[in-house]
Amino acid sequence: MRERPEGDFDRALRQPFTPGMGDGVDWDAVPDEVAVAPPTIPGRDERTTEFLEQWHNASYNCFSSGHKFCREVCPVVQVTRNETWSPTAFHANVVAMERGELDIDDMAADYVNCTQCGACELRCPNTLFTGDFYRFRTRTVDVVKAVRALAVDRGVHQLGWQRWNSLTDERSHEPVLGETPVSQDHVRDWADGLDIPIGGESILFVDCEAAFYRTSVPRAVAQILQLAGYEFGLMAEQWCCGGPASEMGYVEQARRFAEHNLADWRAVGATRVLVLDPHDYISFTEDYPRYFGDDFDLEIVLVVELFAEMIRDGRLTPGVAIDRSITYHDPCRLNKRKGIWKEPREILQAIPGLSFTDVDRVTQWSYCSGGGGGLPIEKPELTAQISAKRLELAAGLEVDTLVSACPWSERPLSAAGPSHAIDVVDLHELLAESLGIDVGGSRGEQP
Amino acid sequence: MSITAERLDEVVGALQRALRPDQVLTSKTDRYNRTRVPAPFPVHRWAERVPDLVTLPESTDDVAAIVRIANELRVPIVPRDGGTGLTDGAVPLRHGIVVDVKRMNQIHEIDLDNRTCTVGTGINMLKLNEVLGGHGLIYPDNPASYPCSLVGGRIGTSGWSLIGSRYGHSRDLVLSFDHVLPTGDVMHVGDGIGHKISKSSSGYQLKHLFMGHQGTLGIATRATLKLFPKPEAELSPFFAFADYDSAYRCTGALARAGVATFAGAVLFDEWKVAYLRRDDEAYIPQPSDVKALVCAVLYGWEDEVRAGGKRLMRIARDHGARYLGDEISEGDWAARHDRYATPLHGRTKDGQVVPMSWHCEDAAINFTNVPAVTREWHAIVAELRRKTDVFDDWGMFAYTSASTGVDYLTEIDVGIWEQKLGDEAWELWVNAKRDIAAVALKYNGSISACHGSCREGEVDLVPQELGRGYDVMLDIKRTLDPNNVMNPGKYGLDRAYGDTTR
Repeated sequence: MRERPEGDFDRALRQPFTPGMGDGVDWDAVPDEVAVAPPTIPGRDERTTEFLEQWHNASYNCFSSGHKFCREVCPVVQVTRNETWSPTAFHANVVAMERGELDIDDMAADYVNCTQCGACELRCPNTLFTGDFYRFRTRTVDVVKAVRALAVDRGVHQLGWQRWNSLTDERSHEPVLGETPVSQDHVRDWADGLDIPIGGESILFVDCEAAFYRTSVPRAVAQILQLAGYEFGLMAEQWCCGGPASEMGYVEQARRFAEHNLADWRAVGATRVLVLDPHDYISFTEDYPRYFGDDFDLEIVLVVELFAEMIRDGRLTPGVAIDRSITYHDPCRLNKRKGIWKEPREILQAIPGLSFTDVDRVTQWSYCSGGGGGLPIEKPELTAQISAKRLELAAGLEVDTLVSACPWSERPLSAAGPSHAIDVVDLHELLAESLGIDVGGSRGEQP
Repeated sequence: MSITAERLDEVVGALQRALRPDQVLTSKTDRYNRTRVPAPFPVHRWAERVPDLVTLPESTDDVAAIVRIANELRVPIVPRDGGTGLTDGAVPLRHGIVVDVKRMNQIHEIDLDNRTCTVGTGINMLKLNEVLGGHGLIYPDNPASYPCSLVGGRIGTSGWSLIGSRYGHSRDLVLSFDHVLPTGDVMHVGDGIGHKISKSSSGYQLKHLFMGHQGTLGIATRATLKLFPKPEAELSPFFAFADYDSAYRCTGALARAGVATFAGAVLFDEWKVAYLRRDDEAYIPQPSDVKALVCAVLYGWEDEVRAGGKRLMRIARDHGARYLGDEISEGDWAARHDRYATPLHGRTKDGQVVPMSWHCEDAAINFTNVPAVTREWHAIVAELRRKTDVFDDWGMFAYTSASTGVDYLTEIDVGIWEQKLGDEAWELWVNAKRDIAAVALKYNGSISACHGSCREGEVDLVPQELGRGYDVMLDIKRTLDPNNVMNPGKYGLDRAYGDTTR
């Protein structure tokens, strides 16, 4: 170090101090000897500049941390072991983009490899230990959604997603039955014989997968509500919630679908929406309030929470013993995204006859079905690997049944079940059975 | 690019014949995301360090094939494991082929009778312990990066473990491994015959040579590890002190006590305590008269931990310690991997919150020299801060490295505001690193206890630290890697090939 006369500031710097906590030194009076210059950001189109302004600090918080504690909990990384598809990379790319090293064309296809389960956000030390102090948390899911949206805006499409969303737009529902068309004419077929009215204060919203594929789930939910004497109706014209489009970057379409659904709820006099699917729950509690602000004044009720409450206060009493040895799969959007893990367990514990081997919710941060975030559309092979891994973990517990509470997880999990002789059942189906309800409907293709 | 487009096609073609297509990655994001490690990074010079392509081997044979191709075509190879190191071992200084071993994460064998397991080097210790826990066992290699670093990287850096005073460090815990030499030849190395032997006097002790070389001597692919009973009890008392000197003396006394279950002691200096006061959650708030902290850790069966704990509590009390209670003690130790270095604690001198990356200088210093090194290091960082708000002093820890308390991993944590880094600030940093290393050597310490010493600045002093030993390093490098393909540019080893300009 070069010799120089020692001043007050030097003396102050040589003592331990906590910046900003009143150390009595006027630091502004000492200009930096080496100028701290803002980085030069190469010229970009307006949309990209807006994106970078919104996300560059959040991305630097991850980039600078470099902890990578997210990596081993990420379902995609667990099966691919590919660092390019890690939450760290999803943030670092934004930094590289700001630096002019990468463009959206270079990055877009990588962002397919995320189920938006939220594990990385929870496992991040920035969220775990400093988040609420700084009112900050790591938001990988939002970063991924923002990059996907930027890609779509810039005309960079993933072909599977483009087709999926265009068919959804055409049919007002996701093409969950493949070549078999889904349409408005059949959106209430699941409710055949249940005599559910249209409209009313409380509306049951049934997501595309449940309405057309795993119809046993909405049938179970509807019949449990009827048994408990809970009045509810269906929408006049239900469209997809728009969440999948939003997750895949088709933001304008997502918003259009939300506007339709909100208008329908208003038209049928609804003040409350009952939700059976965790993905819808995210749409209605996160996306819709963002679209509509204070105008969005509907109460959103997750039926898992409602049923747990009904069991607690005696409105529902499961009495039929079910002879199964089960474990519970915490759906990512309930456990990791919304912190809902207690109520599903309460319901399972109330069902007589079950032998329940539980795995705690924090261990399950690293579990996933692979069914979310549009992954099965673009990379079905990765979804299958992630589900297979989940079933392998269940098999280690020597159970015969894996219970989930998310219709989107149940298709890939069911497909992986037979190799371990494990049956995949929905929580609502199980509760209905224990309440003596003959559920009916279809559990989808059972391998 | 270090190799021309035409040449790149030749290399990719050869690799694609040896591997499946999905094991050879060439996209920009594949390469940009295998350029850096968590250490401060000259982000304004990112493109200078980007590899030409990436390979994802799945077996020792795959690795050997890649290395043979690289050696034949004279293309640099950079091994990458967790990419969590702090001395740039995995940073491709000359571009070339990154060999990313993360897919080699299988558990090949758990031998309950001999208490060993054999794993692919791409496995993470936390994930391994999730499986071993089912057998009542643990692999106790526990660095700060425990949730994400991999066994192979621990071998390549000869890693240091937070509980090494009880269980030993990576070099003690790894019994043997398969290793691909820079020519593509495969060697099994350990003590003598290797495998599950923990001590042999047969032949040269080669295992240590092939640990801590930062990827300059090859790539470990499959390792046999020593296992311990999963500890029944853990005790981690935290103590507060009114001054650094008392805390320092107490740390020494705890380490010298000879308690068999003692797994380590950590000394937090006054700067570290001031740093932790930046956030009411990073450390449970303490009154302002708390100036320094000490944590001691014991692992073992409950009866022996209880007895050892009583003895250490008594020693601490005799040194003026105030016990901080069970909640802080248990909580803080449980959060040891997550808690202490977060970008959000970065501050300019006047208190503005700015995202900073964390860097840690990690000399090995004898107990008697820890206070002097502490003083001189803080002065170096104060000088950096006087010049620019790009740098911040996040305080110091001293951790016991061994059960007798002979030497300490002495660590100064420096925050660096990467968003603002330019050439001038980077040069200040490199010079400061050199100054920090010089202080360690001045006190007969080693530049690095755990990370390695091959980053810019510090690396200049490695020949001085090793003396004649450095020439032996050059001879070994030239012998084993005749074409200088294995992680070239690290540790100044180009000198082995007559290049003194770099």
